[in-house]
Amino acid sequence: MSTVFDRGQEQPKGDAAAAERTLLDVLDVRVRYGGVEAVSGASLQILAPQIVGLIGPNGAGKSSLLAAIGGQAPVAGGTVVVDGHEVTKQPAYKRARLGIVRTFQTASVFERLTVFENLMVAGVGHPGASLTRAFFPSAALGAAAETARVEALRVLEELDITGMRDTYCSDLSGGQRRLVEIGRCLMCSPRLLLLDEPMVGVAPHLVRRIGETCLRIRDSGVAIVIVEHALEVIEEFCDRVVVMAFGEVLDDGSYEDVMKNGSVRDAYLA
Amino acid sequence: MSYYLSTIVVYFGVDVLAAWALNIQFGWAGVPNFAFIIFQAIGAYAAAVVSLGPDSGANSFQRYIVGANLPFPLPLLVAGVAGGALALIVGVIATLRLRRDYQAAVFLLIALIASQVVSGDVGLFNGSNGLAAVPQPLAGALSSLSLGQYQWAYAGFTTVVTVAVLLVIRRIGRSGWQRALRASRDDEAAAGALGLNVAAMRMQVFVVGGVIAGLSGGLLVGFITAWSPGGWGYAETFAILTGVILGGVSNDWGVLLGTFLVQIVFIEVPSFLPEFGYPGLIDKLEWIVIGFMWLAVLILRPRGIIPERRYRAKLESGAEDARYKLPAGVGVGGS
Repeated sequence: MSTVFDRGQEQPKGDAAAAERTLLDVLDVRVRYGGVEAVSGASLQILAPQIVGLIGPNGAGKSSLLAAIGGQAPVAGGTVVVDGHEVTKQPAYKRARLGIVRTFQTASVFERLTVFENLMVAGVGHPGASLTRAFFPSAALGAAAETARVEALRVLEELDITGMRDTYCSDLSGGQRRLVEIGRCLMCSPRLLLLDEPMVGVAPHLVRRIGETCLRIRDSGVAIVIVEHALEVIEEFCDRVVVMAFGEVLDDGSYEDVMKNGSVRDAYLA
Repeated sequence: MSYYLSTIVVYFGVDVLAAWALNIQFGWAGVPNFAFIIFQAIGAYAAAVVSLGPDSGANSFQRYIVGANLPFPLPLLVAGVAGGALALIVGVIATLRLRRDYQAAVFLLIALIASQVVSGDVGLFNGSNGLAAVPQPLAGALSSLSLGQYQWAYAGFTTVVTVAVLLVIRRIGRSGWQRALRASRDDEAAAGALGLNVAAMRMQVFVVGGVIAGLSGGLLVGFITAWSPGGWGYAETFAILTGVILGGVSNDWGVLLGTFLVQIVFIEVPSFLPEFGYPGLIDKLEWIVIGFMWLAVLILRPRGIIPERRYRAKLESGAEDARYKLPAGVGVGGS
């Protein structure tokens, strides 16, 4: 059976290091909220396929950097380049259409939609999500909607949440909401997946399921950035670690190398 | 009694149109359009000034812009276009850059400003006295009908328009567009992060709602033949919204039921009651009852009498999705 994780991407599976290429280039990015500078000239490159753990103490600027990449926060300086296209000034929805898809620090499900509908909203190309097509649905639209339906059922199965497909998301637990968020991202066929603290409030068995899901997504050729405080999660599932503190990138390397860095330990203990 | 019933049918049709229009803006997209009544009002004014003819001669007792004399049904179409055009302008101001709570305040202010402008600028729509002697649609062609028969003919026409609008709403309500709107209603940032152009979709639904609101105003002014600022105070929006919330936000039939209860049972029927207390007490009690009804629904049954429909997933491969009608032969095999 084919899965949501092997939908014909050209990248090799399993051997993540074999065909790595630069997907995201963040250069000297600054994010300001009023008079507060949350990100002060951060630079990093994200390769695909790769899982990058973004760690740092509270207030380090991790979520703000994710928002700058995803388009939720205005970039006050610097550039964000995705696969050769500069997206610094582009709104979030245009970046999402380029394959930059994200989850949020607080699980952002559509509460008055069912789990299945949450996935269908994110169907590739958003079948029918135009007023003209709403008035004049075509055979092509019907076929696209059917493709999205089948895809949504596959995602439900992969994440083992088929049984709750008709449940309103307002009735889900925190961990289940996380799974729905990730499932929704999968429906978008992401190229770069930004996960903001996906394990917070999640039961241990779901942490493992989310982590293993990330590995399978990576193996299908996708780059993933995970903001996470649980270092054991970072150690187990991430190929590379970027450390932030005070709005800047402090270190970048393997988990072992980063943990040997004294300034990283100081930043965490500060 | 027949006269009263036909009047009730027209009023109910107009009220339901307005409630459905507000429902697609508020229920589907979460736009707190507290200025809704001004879109109905502009439709009524537009239909009036393109059917009254020049403000001279028989109409010299009132002043207004345009003064055309378009035949039926053009005034009705103009009413819809006027509602949509105003929605486009107001939408740019109120929906594109503001957070939802600020939107609500801005809409309320726009409703107050609109009322003051129209009341104060007599040259627009005859100020606070309003427009009168608006020609009834096809009154000449149907001159052989008695007053009662004409009333019922108008009631029938209103019903036809109402059903036609319902069919349109049902059609677009089965689309991915409507689902995307409901998603953006629940979480705008998350919807944008999935690639949905929330601002554009919200503007679209706002304009569609404006067109329907304008149409309802055009229908109403053709029936009552007069229109003035006293009839479209901002509080009217709350009566319409109470029907939407009471019946069930984002449910067409719920909105129909809620509108019947609020506009007919609680606003029209009390006019049959014998006067008691000081003059106007019944009118005031109506608003008190509407206020309490709104509070009671929010506390006891926040999703309304008939809640928003739950769309269940279809598991069979090639089966119709709950939201789409697939043409024959279209289907994708499952895994």
